[in-house]
Amino acid sequence: MSVILLKSVCKSYLSGDGRLHVLKQTDLDIKKADFAVVAGPSGSGKSTLLNLIGGLDRPDSGLIEIDGVELSRLTDSKQAAFRNQKIGFVFQSFHLIPVLTAAENVAWPLYIKGVNRKQRMLRARELLSNFGLATHIDKQPDKLSGGQCQRVAIARALACEPQIVLADEPTANLDHKTSVEIMDLLCSLNKESDVTFLFSTHDQMVASYAKRHLYLEDGKLIENAVDAHIDEGVGCV
Amino acid sequence: MFDLALLSLRNIFRNVRRSTITVLSIVIGFCALSSFGGFIDFTFEGLRETTIRTQLGHMQIYADGYWEKRISDPESVLIAKPQEIEEMLADLPGVSVITHRLSFSGLASVGNSTVNVSVIGIVPELEEDFADFETVVDGRNLRPGDTEVGVIGEHLQKGLGAKIGDWVTVMTSSVGGVINVIDFQVVGVVKTGSKEYDSVFVKIPIDLAQKAQETDKVERIIVLLDDTNELPKLLPQIEQRLAQLDRDFETRTWLELAGFYTAVVSLYTGIFNVFAIIVGVVVMFSVANTMTMAVFERTSEIGALRAIGAPRIMLVCMFLLEGLGIGLIGGLLGIATSYLISYVIDFLGGIPMPPPPGMSQGYQAYLSVTGNVLLKSFAVTLLASIVSSLYPAFFASRVQIIEALKKS
Repeated sequence: MSVILLKSVCKSYLSGDGRLHVLKQTDLDIKKADFAVVAGPSGSGKSTLLNLIGGLDRPDSGLIEIDGVELSRLTDSKQAAFRNQKIGFVFQSFHLIPVLTAAENVAWPLYIKGVNRKQRMLRARELLSNFGLATHIDKQPDKLSGGQCQRVAIARALACEPQIVLADEPTANLDHKTSVEIMDLLCSLNKESDVTFLFSTHDQMVASYAKRHLYLEDGKLIENAVDAHIDEGVGCV
Repeated sequence: MFDLALLSLRNIFRNVRRSTITVLSIVIGFCALSSFGGFIDFTFEGLRETTIRTQLGHMQIYADGYWEKRISDPESVLIAKPQEIEEMLADLPGVSVITHRLSFSGLASVGNSTVNVSVIGIVPELEEDFADFETVVDGRNLRPGDTEVGVIGEHLQKGLGAKIGDWVTVMTSSVGGVINVIDFQVVGVVKTGSKEYDSVFVKIPIDLAQKAQETDKVERIIVLLDDTNELPKLLPQIEQRLAQLDRDFETRTWLELAGFYTAVVSLYTGIFNVFAIIVGVVVMFSVANTMTMAVFERTSEIGALRAIGAPRIMLVCMFLLEGLGIGLIGGLLGIATSYLISYVIDFLGGIPMPPPPGMSQGYQAYLSVTGNVLLKSFAVTLLASIVSSLYPAFFASRVQIIEALKKS
């Protein structure tokens, strides 16, 4: 069953030299519980693709369906609610709220969803404990390392039990060892649940974790093409 | 909402220096407003009590038709047997003094000096409370049992060149229209603070005034209460009792009679309102600057919140709550500081003020920091804080998620 479906999606931006076509008639079909990577050089449109899938941006043309729902048909507030309940985001720069503790950051999507305080804090503590952050629950992000912040961000992405987690360069700001830990974590989460993971990277080691490899080049997605570009990695199979 | 308020509160303390400056500007604005409001409230109260206790009482009772006929047919609108009315009202709780007066104008002469005067006949034993705001500058005030004596205003004394013990002749026309003359001996010189009043003021026993007017009736009955604030409650009760008599009366409250007081209140209130607008605008600019900076600094957080599903209205609420929080903190500190300023001024013995226009003596001003003044100041600063947060809050809610996330 397709949880992410793109048909003939086009996206362009105005740049100094005119219009830059980032995605050209792009098609994509991601099944439930997939662990897919979008690789490609910097500026190839990986983030744009993930932003469109996550409903953070709108395409110029084409169809984007997430779990059978066409995002462009939703109003802004319904899109926000859809993102909250169906999609988890993990960003390269973590994007945690500095004045909130780790647990409060994880619980915030549940607050938006309307879950009561007791239940959401329980869920946040449970997630953080599972991610090895039990002793850091009440710490604010500035007291955590990069790897710990990214684990908090992943916990936040999973707080509302989404169907899809979109991770845009999740290890770009981390060292090699921490990157491996984060990818191992994402991999194990994918194995333990039906959550679909789609992440972007230009790091071949990170890309090697994916079950499914997509390569974005010249506005087009090429299936499995990434294999030719990466070394053999640990894998998530 | 509690979590959103908590997040907003934490964000206020995120940039301590900037928030402190903003809160300080609110506190200064608040104190300026509450001090000015306290000063004019003190002035209103002083003027009100002076007006009531020197001239008007809290309310006056007249014969029906007094205001229409007092010039053309004064005799027909005088009150006979005032004691009957006074006894009927005396047992009302809250009524302090009931007295009656008879006033007329005339020409007063001492030697070759003749001056236009306003004479008021009073019952000395009942008027002690009315004399609270009169200062005897020479001699004494009227006493029970006085007959052919009088007290004159300080400026009138200068105009007549009269001394204590001098005899003054007053020529007037009686209620029947007959020219009449009385004499009284000056026993005291007083000042009320009002230069105009002190230039024409003559106070004599009512018996002497009735002799001048050739009547045994009085012009008005004056009621003084223990507390000015009790008037709205007591007025209907007094009118109800008057209605039981077989004569018709009309009543006027001090506020209806005090044109000068009303004009002063209107003028000062207008000035206060303009001042409140100025303070409000200053506070608005200060808070708007802080909130706009906060939105720009936290653009990436706004993007992240939107990405994880926060609706636009939540962001609007978050920034409005921040504005509200800043306004509340500033307002509460403003209340404390206002009390402190008021206490210090009290401790120092007040602020020496020059004589107001039309008055002959200065006074010590204090700040009457009442709940009403604080409420007005609080409302202005709080409203200004919220209003100035509206645009930044709206701006935050319209931020493009993608652009916001790039600003990390």
